[in-house]
Amino acid sequence: MTNDTVSADTAPGSALRPRTPVRAPARERRTRRVGAGGWTPWLYLAPALVVLGGLLVYPIYQLGLISFLEYTQAQVSGGQPTTFKGLGNYATLFGDGEFWQVLLATVLFAAACVVTTLAAGCALAVLLTRVRALPRLALMLAALGAWATPAITGSTVWVFLFDPDHGPVNRLLGLGDFSWTYGRYSAFTLVLLEVVWCSFPFVMVTVYAGIRAIPSEVLEAASLDGASQWRTWRSVTAPMLRPILAVVTIQSVIWDFKVFTQIYVMTNGGGIAGQNLVLNVYAYQKAFASSQYSLGSAIGVVMLLILLAVTLVYLRIVRRRGEEL
Amino acid sequence: MNLLGIRRPWRLLAEASALVIAVIVAFPLYWMVLSAVKPSGEIQSTSPRPWTLSPSLDSFRRVFEQHEFGRYFLNSLLVAVTVVLASALIAFLAATAVTRFRFRFRTTLLIMFLVAQMVPVEALTIPLFFLMRDAGLLNTLGSLILPHLAFSLPFAIWMLRGFVKAVPEALEEAAYIDGASRTRFLWQILFPLVFPGLVATSVFSFISTWNDFLFAKSFIISDTSQSTLPMALLVFFKPDENDWGGIMAASTVMTVPVLVFFVLVQRRLVSGLGGAVKD
Amino acid sequence: MKLSARLIAPLAALVLAGLTVTGCAPQTSDTGATKDEKSGTLRVWLFQEVGNKPKERVVDAAVAAFREKHTDAKVEIEYIPVETRAQRVKAAFNDPKSAPDLIEYGNTDTAGYVKDGGLADIKAEFDAWGEAEDTDPTARQSVTVGGGIYGAPLFVGVRALYYRTDVLKELGLPVPTSQAALISTAKKIHRAKPGLYGLAVGGAYTYGAMPFLWANGGELAEESGGTFKAAVNSPAARKGIEAYTSLFGDDNCPAAKCASMGGNATVTAFASGKAAMAIGGDFSHSAVEEGAVKGKYAVVPLPGVAAGSIAPAFAGGNNIGVLKSSSHRTLAVELMKSLTGKKTQAELFDAMGFLPTYTDVRAASAEKQPFVAPFVKTLGAGAKFVPASAGWAQIDASLVLPTMFQEIVSGRKGVAAASDDAARKMDAAFSSAG
Repeated sequence: MTNDTVSADTAPGSALRPRTPVRAPARERRTRRVGAGGWTPWLYLAPALVVLGGLLVYPIYQLGLISFLEYTQAQVSGGQPTTFKGLGNYATLFGDGEFWQVLLATVLFAAACVVTTLAAGCALAVLLTRVRALPRLALMLAALGAWATPAITGSTVWVFLFDPDHGPVNRLLGLGDFSWTYGRYSAFTLVLLEVVWCSFPFVMVTVYAGIRAIPSEVLEAASLDGASQWRTWRSVTAPMLRPILAVVTIQSVIWDFKVFTQIYVMTNGGGIAGQNLVLNVYAYQKAFASSQYSLGSAIGVVMLLILLAVTLVYLRIVRRRGEEL
Repeated sequence: MNLLGIRRPWRLLAEASALVIAVIVAFPLYWMVLSAVKPSGEIQSTSPRPWTLSPSLDSFRRVFEQHEFGRYFLNSLLVAVTVVLASALIAFLAATAVTRFRFRFRTTLLIMFLVAQMVPVEALTIPLFFLMRDAGLLNTLGSLILPHLAFSLPFAIWMLRGFVKAVPEALEEAAYIDGASRTRFLWQILFPLVFPGLVATSVFSFISTWNDFLFAKSFIISDTSQSTLPMALLVFFKPDENDWGGIMAASTVMTVPVLVFFVLVQRRLVSGLGGAVKD
Repeated sequence: MKLSARLIAPLAALVLAGLTVTGCAPQTSDTGATKDEKSGTLRVWLFQEVGNKPKERVVDAAVAAFREKHTDAKVEIEYIPVETRAQRVKAAFNDPKSAPDLIEYGNTDTAGYVKDGGLADIKAEFDAWGEAEDTDPTARQSVTVGGGIYGAPLFVGVRALYYRTDVLKELGLPVPTSQAALISTAKKIHRAKPGLYGLAVGGAYTYGAMPFLWANGGELAEESGGTFKAAVNSPAARKGIEAYTSLFGDDNCPAAKCASMGGNATVTAFASGKAAMAIGGDFSHSAVEEGAVKGKYAVVPLPGVAAGSIAPAFAGGNNIGVLKSSSHRTLAVELMKSLTGKKTQAELFDAMGFLPTYTDVRAASAEKQPFVAPFVKTLGAGAKFVPASAGWAQIDASLVLPTMFQEIVSGRKGVAAASDDAARKMDAAFSSAG
């Protein structure tokens, strides 16, 4: 990628590039670059936009479209013509008590996962800053191991660990042949543990990196002022970490709301009589097991809208604080 | 010397709990590897022991003896590496565009990148299937590379933004004064500076691509020469037969490359994720 | 060059993303093939069985015989797990280009697959095939939809009662001859030997549960004038459901473990010595023989309600069909004949215990292997079939009946409420299937 400096002038827009230092306030300097940039940002963005347009936006459009159609296997393989159903699929969905149950379970389960993951991740990040190199390395490596484990293998290993007959956990806890996947809540608990296990490392590592980035003088000053640990955390560390906490929170919400593999593998596709279904698995089962593609798509659209609402709330909070995107 | 600002007994307690937690967190992985090398009789035992005196590689043999296992492994690697490289390149350009330039729709685009991460991948399998079919890509590795690229991009761009932003603007100006072109600045100055961030985001695209079995299962319909690792491993995921030895060996095989990748980039990952805050 | 230096990265990225987006509405596929090539690779999907090796050997022999006659053709066999068949087959129907040429499929799926437009009608070839004349009528029925023939039967599957001779003898219990005796025997065994399930049952084991329903005079659905109406909530059917679900509990097969089990899991439990009785098929024979209970078990027909009667069994079994999209139709039909011919079926019986679909081959096999006698007897007593509607595939795939059983055994719903719900879902599926 070598290029000598002068002749880039031939490129569109480059003639306008400022060659002299502009000692202007940041705002103004940036404004100037609008003209200077011209089409350059769009050129840089083009590959991303093409990929996302073709493989994300277009499929989402189709998802929405399918959710308004009568679209089952017979339509897919051309046996019957597709017909427009309007809001029929949504009416079916909202009229089904199971959907509301699954929705409630999804929200509560995701909330529990987010809270537990954040609490564990932040607590351990703080712990990491309080210990010497060896224990830190041990915890870091263990966490990276958990992070690196593919969801499908992680889920399987956890099911095996909690297996009533061959698993070590029940023996360790003296639970006999208690079946974790039978009860609705114990099954959700088991899945929650696995989800937290594989997602707390992201929070821990990120928050730890964030704490490390806080200048030590600030913390020392606080401690010299006689501030307690808790006080230092609340008044100094937490505010400085806020942007990073916001990022890990919103990421956790997004990921945990969409949990799929763990539920699918650990509860065998949604648990006994579908007691452990969450929206994502529910949509998949409707679409692929029962071939009701349009119903599955409608569920997908509902999920998308819910996550969109969460994002908007998040953006409002960011905006209100006057932070820039 | 009270380096960390806490008294000794508290620090020892903290270190002890860090070690205990490390053991608990690592235990599932230990058990996975252990079960993979246990002889089958011991796995089925109702009184599992946390060690084995007669390790055996039988389970691994069952995994590797599968038809064209090496091929699956290479296919997986090819898909993951392509996605990682392409998404790093594309995301770097896009992140530069949205942080170093002001233009119309910039904020809209940013919000869209955030929203794009929320798309439930599983629900999109349906339209993606038809898209891949119409593009004639089903049964080829392309049908795995393209969707994974698309799904890893929004997060990569979103993450990289912070890193690109963190590079001081003064540096950019200095470069221009020295007569550097925009291209030269982009590749010779900005790129190396943002590299740790690229590594951190690559971790995410690598993991999600490597671990995928949904697309592999849905898009590689019948051509076994295009199968990826998870497909070969799914053979053992038969709840009815309980071949736990095979499952655990297969899981180990699948986890190790990711672990290696992780350990390799560990330093950069931590410093990389930290980079997002320095801004 | 300078310009290109600047453009090169985005362009390279663009090429990577090089994908042309065509069309704007979800499309339908044209599953019909236009070619009939006489050479090339034939792809075949067969089901992966518990203990698949013997099946592979028989199949390899049949393929070798086929290739002797058709040297230009190559054959690629893939064994797919039964659990994921629905998605795989659907995907194959949706993309004819990457679909296999031949598939093994359960006979309950025939109507659905035909309606989906996936299978080729091979009536002409089937009628002209000499061996097919000996196909028994039930098996022939299982590949017939509306006058067309959509494949060749591979084996019939029928289930009967496996029991441990040693356990019954030790406890001094007679072999049960009625449904009530079966249930009480199961509970007596579990009381005497808490480590064993009396009768291994599964909440997801639809085909093990159906005989209970049928024996009590119930039906899954009733047909009138070409349309089906669910009947699982009729009083007779409920009695059968009640009988089956009474087997889940701490006095036989604890719901915590058994509610989620399917057919294979119950057979595995029996084979590994964890159950004193199980409802297994002729096709489970080799798996049980390889298990821990070899030589310590026997098989009798599953008893009905009246003492000495036989509960109607489900006439299961698999077929091999040619896909409509196959571009090697002639070759595919030839391979199908090789895979389902008398010789292969006889070998498959020896290897796996799969009951042949040819009356003469089956009779010869029964003579050779006395273990099939109870299965043949069960078939003779009148086996039943699932509703011959395309809606059944959907009912099966969306787990309507397992959900019903699981709701009852986990105590979440009563028999009446759960069966009403199931009937409602079934009716919806029947009406949407037309």
